[in-house]
Amino acid sequence: MPGLGARLGRGGATTTLQSLADSDCIVIMGSNMAENHPVGFRFVVRAKTRGATVIHVDPRFSRTSALADLYVPLRAGSDLAVLGGLINYVINSERWNTDPFFKEYVTHYTNAPVIINPAYQGPEDLGGLFSGYIPEERRYETDTWQYAGQDERPAASEDKAQTAEPRPEYIGNLTAPPRLDPTLQDPNCVFQIVKRHYARYTPEMVERIAGIPQDVFIRLAETILANSGRDRTTAFCYAVAWTQHTNGTQIIGACALLQLLLGNIGRPGGGILALRGHATIQGSTDIPTLYNLLPGYLPMPMATALERDENLEAYLRRNRPMTGAWYNTPAYLISLLKAWYGDAATPENDFCYDLVPKINGDASFQAMIPMMKDGIIKGLFVMGMNPAVGGQNAILAREGLANLDWLVVRDVHEIETAAFWWDAPEVREGKVRPQDIKTEVFFLPAALPGEKEGSFTNTQRLVQWHDKAIDPPDDVRSEVWFVYHLGRRLKELYQGDDTPKGRQIAALTWEYPTEGPHDEPVVEAIVREINGYTVADGRLLPDFSALRDDGSTACGCWIYSGIMPEEGRNRAKDRRGDERAALEWGYSWPRNVRLLYNRASADPQGRPWSERKKWVWWDEKEGRWTGFDTPDFPVTKPPDYVPPPGAVGLDAHPGDAPFVNMADGRGWLFAASGLRDGPLPTHYEPWETPVGNALYPEHPRSPAANLLERPDNRYHEIGDPRFPYVITTYRLTEHHTAGGMTRFVPWLAELQPHGFVEISPELAGELGINNGDWVVISTLRGETESRALVTERLQPLVIDGKKIHQVGMPWHFGYSGIAKGGIANDLSALVEDPNSRIHEAKAFTCNLRKGRLTHSTDEEGRG
Amino acid sequence: MSTTVIRDQPGRTGTTGARPGAVGFLTDTTLCIGCKACEVACKQWNQLPMDEFGFTGYSYDNTGDLSATTWRHVAFIERISDSEGRRPTTMRAFQSNWLMMSDVCKHCVNAGCMEACPTGAIIRTEFDTVVVQQDVCNGCGYCVPACPFGVIALDLGDGRARVGDHKAHKCTLCYDRLRDGLEPACAKACPTDSIQFGLVEDLMDRAKQRVADLRAQGVEEAHIYGDRAVGGTGGIEGLNAFFILTAPPEVYNLPAQPELPQRKTIPASVSTALAAVAFAVGAILSLRRK
Amino acid sequence: MAYERRWETRRRGGRSAGDEARESYYGVPVIHRAPWRWEIPTYFFLGGIAGASYVIAGIAHVFGGDEERPVVRAGRYLSLAALIPSPILLILDLGRPERFHHMLRVFKVRSPMSVGTWGLVVFGAFSTLSALIQAAEDGLFGRGTLVARLLLRLPSRAIAFLGQFPAFFVSGYTGVLLAATAVPLWTRNYLLMGPLFLASALSNALAAITLILTVAGRTSHRSLRRLERFETVVMGVEALLLAALRLNSGKTIARPMHEGRLGRIYRVGVLGTGLGLPLLVQAPGAWLGRRLPRGVTVLAALLTLIGGALFRYLIVTAGHRSADDPQATFELTRARENGSRRS
Repeated sequence: MPGLGARLGRGGATTTLQSLADSDCIVIMGSNMAENHPVGFRFVVRAKTRGATVIHVDPRFSRTSALADLYVPLRAGSDLAVLGGLINYVINSERWNTDPFFKEYVTHYTNAPVIINPAYQGPEDLGGLFSGYIPEERRYETDTWQYAGQDERPAASEDKAQTAEPRPEYIGNLTAPPRLDPTLQDPNCVFQIVKRHYARYTPEMVERIAGIPQDVFIRLAETILANSGRDRTTAFCYAVAWTQHTNGTQIIGACALLQLLLGNIGRPGGGILALRGHATIQGSTDIPTLYNLLPGYLPMPMATALERDENLEAYLRRNRPMTGAWYNTPAYLISLLKAWYGDAATPENDFCYDLVPKINGDASFQAMIPMMKDGIIKGLFVMGMNPAVGGQNAILAREGLANLDWLVVRDVHEIETAAFWWDAPEVREGKVRPQDIKTEVFFLPAALPGEKEGSFTNTQRLVQWHDKAIDPPDDVRSEVWFVYHLGRRLKELYQGDDTPKGRQIAALTWEYPTEGPHDEPVVEAIVREINGYTVADGRLLPDFSALRDDGSTACGCWIYSGIMPEEGRNRAKDRRGDERAALEWGYSWPRNVRLLYNRASADPQGRPWSERKKWVWWDEKEGRWTGFDTPDFPVTKPPDYVPPPGAVGLDAHPGDAPFVNMADGRGWLFAASGLRDGPLPTHYEPWETPVGNALYPEHPRSPAANLLERPDNRYHEIGDPRFPYVITTYRLTEHHTAGGMTRFVPWLAELQPHGFVEISPELAGELGINNGDWVVISTLRGETESRALVTERLQPLVIDGKKIHQVGMPWHFGYSGIAKGGIANDLSALVEDPNSRIHEAKAFTCNLRKGRLTHSTDEEGRG
Repeated sequence: MSTTVIRDQPGRTGTTGARPGAVGFLTDTTLCIGCKACEVACKQWNQLPMDEFGFTGYSYDNTGDLSATTWRHVAFIERISDSEGRRPTTMRAFQSNWLMMSDVCKHCVNAGCMEACPTGAIIRTEFDTVVVQQDVCNGCGYCVPACPFGVIALDLGDGRARVGDHKAHKCTLCYDRLRDGLEPACAKACPTDSIQFGLVEDLMDRAKQRVADLRAQGVEEAHIYGDRAVGGTGGIEGLNAFFILTAPPEVYNLPAQPELPQRKTIPASVSTALAAVAFAVGAILSLRRK
Repeated sequence: MAYERRWETRRRGGRSAGDEARESYYGVPVIHRAPWRWEIPTYFFLGGIAGASYVIAGIAHVFGGDEERPVVRAGRYLSLAALIPSPILLILDLGRPERFHHMLRVFKVRSPMSVGTWGLVVFGAFSTLSALIQAAEDGLFGRGTLVARLLLRLPSRAIAFLGQFPAFFVSGYTGVLLAATAVPLWTRNYLLMGPLFLASALSNALAAITLILTVAGRTSHRSLRRLERFETVVMGVEALLLAALRLNSGKTIARPMHEGRLGRIYRVGVLGTGLGLPLLVQAPGAWLGRRLPRGVTVLAALLTLIGGALFRYLIVTAGHRSADDPQATFELTRARENGSRRS
């Protein structure tokens, strides 16, 4: 999310799947869309039948590649070099420099003309580092990255390290309008900085790093260029193959940068589609299960040495910009506190702000694994997850599970995480004995989607309701039932407890109506709370513009406000489609906007860029924005609006500033704040790589990557001859994530009944492996065995004159269920992107040999 | 593969002997992404057991072929490299280099299985589909080798725990769903409209248009499999479930010019009768009173 | 059959997944082989003998003199004896034996199996009736009993004549039944299958009758020689038909008849033991009048019968193999450039 959030203002996909059908060119990179989003891929196919060009850039020729017009193979982990190469190619291309559209879009809608602090220095100046690097702490001071001419930022003295923890939606804080050079010539303006930054990302360099032949790269670049402009749009689709890198946020940022340069953001058939990996993973960040966010992307309060949000005032001082949509942060936060703490939240007690948990460090999932092993975390709830298979360094994850006091697993099958104490490979091999595992495991049956009602927020922020078809059998219960009743009992338990912990629980509002024999909570009552209501009379709010910071409104998640605008109307249930924005199909946050930043679909004067690509425009007669979509813009603010001095909030943005959440209303080519590892995306090698960094030999890997190295989580050095192959992990259509919902289902299990690794015939030939043979794959974390699927869909690439083999391994498989296989994550390491805290599973190194493990516990193919 | 490339015969492409009002499938492989949703939807709707053959290494196909318990089967053929072993970058429009094809019962205009059936268990329905009546079939198995496409099969169990019912099974074109005005489960589940359901005549028009479009985009090999020129040949008179292919049928494990087996019944009977006469004469000559 | 679909038992790893699908779709059969087990070739063998021995008995009855009475007698009994297990075998082979009577729900001219079922029913009546008449003639129902008198009053020659039609039918329809499938070996040779099955049925029946008569030892030498002579003719025709089948099949489709165990059965069992040796032994006796020791006649007859059984087994099993071989089906259904088809 910070990849898009830091540059565009929101972490969500800027476009919709349906809008892909309007694309002239679709670039799928960092995603195997046809395999993992087959339903959404129908719109890619539709675009194709309308004549669009589909491009797949991927280390493996996958089912997506089979439907592409251009397949571009690259080395896993070299995406940013390719995107940087595209940026460089575009900026210097004839089309970009002659068609006035691009300059007009970029000067008005992006921060290209903004002058940056002259003290800023980039990797070109510092051999791979940005200015402000503190080597001992592997982090940056970001003062030199700021816009020039800003006063000392509020609280800047105690906020030296504002990016010490991820602030995905932290979008800058301006004390004065930015200084601009509309000619883009000033050497300190963003455009010139960007141009210098990517000057060495030439097609030759791309070939050296990524292994893409220059002619193929140029065809890729020319196709994208030819399909961007006033009358044409190119869309990018990415998924976790961009996020799961130590510089994943920056890869996505590079895409945002490129799409801003090409004028593709906010326009039909353009944009960036972040393809989410689960049915409602977007929903689980909107109303988050993440440790560092409150609902609606409000940052979680901090309690670290560097950052202290000790009270509401301090929190707002640090997190509330004076300009842009986030100016209303107090209304959003206080309405949330009113929803959580009800009458107990009063202006006098900071609306119970002190009861909100504060975070004191990395509590991401990756960080939890060693904490479990080290006994810091004592108990774990696992719901809809399977860390014994899906956790990075899954051996360490299972060791962590084995060192808990208690573990609650709620799932539809006895997944590996519930069965680790008796069925894990190390137990079967006799290395660990069940009686030595102290963890008390509770396995609770969970309801399937058809057995409960609720909503999914899909990849395009669209909330769609689903009904319950049948009651869950026996003791099976829904998550909402479990969480509600757990909370209810905890509240009873802590009633009258005056310790901080007791007060935190006891003060929560937890009154939801229930129904049926099992007291199932009424889910729509929760939707009601999420939508928001007036505290005095419980009237539902029409949208978040009605939220107040005086405690008169309550709202569970401000961006979802409007989903239930009046009694009895749940807009997630709307099911009226049409060929345009389909505004009456489901509900899309914010305010049912389908294409984000759609003010950019009109030119600075408010006219559609072209008839073919019209979407939202200024209706002069009516004096308002209109179009096919809900305008993502103050609806009556004219295109020629100039903010008066001292204006705040959205009033501080001019009429041609589509990126309403950004402090200056512009899309940020240069991310002056919000990112820990640099304002401009830079190619760093994956943490484990067979080759050095051709661009920055002195700093080949991300200087700010979050390392969790320890004896049970060791890393391979660059070019370690023991681990010569690049390995990438991925998913198959036939299974879902760690397999809890699919490997146990006969109809799905039979389709991919066993784990395998994909290797090229070239590598197979070198190692004497035939199709179907057993192979052992190993890293310093562990080794596992699998079948070899020898396929030309993988190919060795020539990287910097050296032949590099790539190995692919689906990570679905484990030791439980019908479809079993070696656990790919037994091989991967815990190492994180510093912004999103996401691991690097898409590119690391391994060794491979023919044969089986000495202590094989896989019965398949035996006897 | 040593197969001749299919050449359409002028004026015959897209012709079918389908009866008016017949419904069927158009499976357009050029739109197929190999997601196997059709296989799963079919098994779920028809409550078919899993086969679990184990890992095959046959690309992503772990089902192999159609059977009594698999009524949709997606074939995967990797033709990645060109003749000189180079991997592709620029590719032809729509599915290429990794071919995927969802196979199904063809619901032949003249169906070998149905003609073979000695019990009348296999019937032609009011939708002009071919269906096995499970309450009639006695598992004689004669329909099995009588299908030129290897579709119908007896359910003999999985050789391990599951005991089959030893009757003949195949796609019913979701007869029960058709009765309720629903499209078959596989077509419903197909995310890219690779599987389309409808009136055969409409689908055939669509297929002809699609093939023309594909050829205009340079996919010269695109052709219809299942008309009187290819696939639905030799007295079969066309298939109610037909396909758009971009490689010779054999690549997808389909016979190029199959024949209705029962076309052989009369000539084979005549030759047998003639032989009988000859042998009778021989016998008379040998055994006659001397 | 189902267990063979576990690919694990079949696979031979190629260089790559792409390579393995180069010649055919991973070697997966294009069509499904018939699910028949041992019952079916056994029935083909016995049913053939039942029909053909009725043919011989009938022709000997109608056209032969009194000298042929032992042949008629043996043929009539043998026909019924070989017939009785046939429906049992057929029912056993059904997936759902309790539903055998569903065969009699319909009569389908285009389905050789349906026609065959009815043919078998009709033939069963003739075979049974003729055997009963023979029994009456042999006094097995006593003398002058009502049953015996009724049976003896029947027009046995007319019955024998009419019975020739179902008898020939039962001897040969099984070849048509196999021909009217998609199995490459069977359908490619559709004109040869019926005659071949007829020839095999006749030679087997002749051998069986010869065997019975020789062992019983109450038949004139001349009568035996006539049988043997006809038998050698039939076997000669059978050998010619087999050669034609081989030629007509082509290399790919005929492959299962030449490779491995089946190839050995074909060469040693069918050609050598079943046709070559008996011909070699019998031809001189039958045509040159040299008298053979009884033991040799018995042996030759036994060898012919073994060969006949092996032939039925071979043709069914080789058919299965050709059904399993995608190349055979491709060969059979290969597209012609000009659209015309081999027929």
